[in-house]
Amino acid sequence: MKVRAENHAMDCLTIPATGRTPGVSFDFANGHLRMTGESYPDDVAAFFGPVFEALRGFLDDPDGGPIRFDMELLYFNSSSAKALMNIFQMLETVAKGGRPVTLTWCVEENDESMRELGEDFAEDLRHVVFQMREMPAGGPP
Amino acid sequence: MLAQQYASIKRDLDDKGIVFSFSGYLSEGILYSLGEALREKLALEAADGPTIRRVFSVFVEQMQNIIRYSAEKLSGTAGRAVELSAGMVTIGMERGKVFIVCGNTVRNSEVPRLKERLDHLKSLDRDGIKTYYREQLREEPDDSSRGATLGLIEIARRASDPIDYDFNAMDADRSFFCLKVSV
Repeated sequence: MKVRAENHAMDCLTIPATGRTPGVSFDFANGHLRMTGESYPDDVAAFFGPVFEALRGFLDDPDGGPIRFDMELLYFNSSSAKALMNIFQMLETVAKGGRPVTLTWCVEENDESMRELGEDFAEDLRHVVFQMREMPAGGPP
Repeated sequence: MLAQQYASIKRDLDDKGIVFSFSGYLSEGILYSLGEALREKLALEAADGPTIRRVFSVFVEQMQNIIRYSAEKLSGTAGRAVELSAGMVTIGMERGKVFIVCGNTVRNSEVPRLKERLDHLKSLDRDGIKTYYREQLREEPDDSSRGATLGLIEIARRASDPIDYDFNAMDADRSFFCLKVSV
């Protein structure tokens, strides 16, 4: 599966969602990062490689402002979980260095599995501000 | 004769409550298509989003285990790189619950380690599984597993009954491995 990544001078990274890969909208200029949809790529490394790379470039900027990360995935598989953990650890590192980071974990109402996963990921975030937000059901199952 | 033979296979599947079954070479493409059909079927039965995703999650991890670890693989190039893994997947309904049974060939040398992992998972209660998941989420995958442990924990976590597994020796080198999960 091919995804098209548009990367304009590191201002943003936009990858449209497919049936099995998430939508990525990283608005680096405003420090607003967002992932939507579902994630169970046939090749996790191929999908997340460019995402990590763009994110690393953004986080390496010493003059960077506050970051808001909205995790709105409805489902992700275990290989994607590892990739997400990587992303959150990168955010934790810059937060530890003093850059304000807020991670909002969005959960559809009654989705206890996703809520529990949020708690699993939040467990060792000490400097990133973690918040859980409930969304109304009605997205695609 | 032809119809009789296949009707008997079909009847066997129906009697076991099996709604979907696939045996043969599996690929990521089949995972995707079968997964879509499974979700549509569950949605028609008015299952809610979180329930559908719980079943779907077990299905994805089971399928990806076969695709990655089946000892019976075909690979080559047919215009592009092709890798196919033999196995079978059946999905059915039993006493109001969905069950997924996956089967594939494994090397006998891998059996003890797989057994150990599955027995360990079976011995844990809900909190134990949760703690184990948190630990493994932060671990680097060990050499040969390519993340199998987290996938198996995810399966055990979404299961409503303890997972059930079995091995059937085929010859000196290989066994048939089966994993049944009810959600």
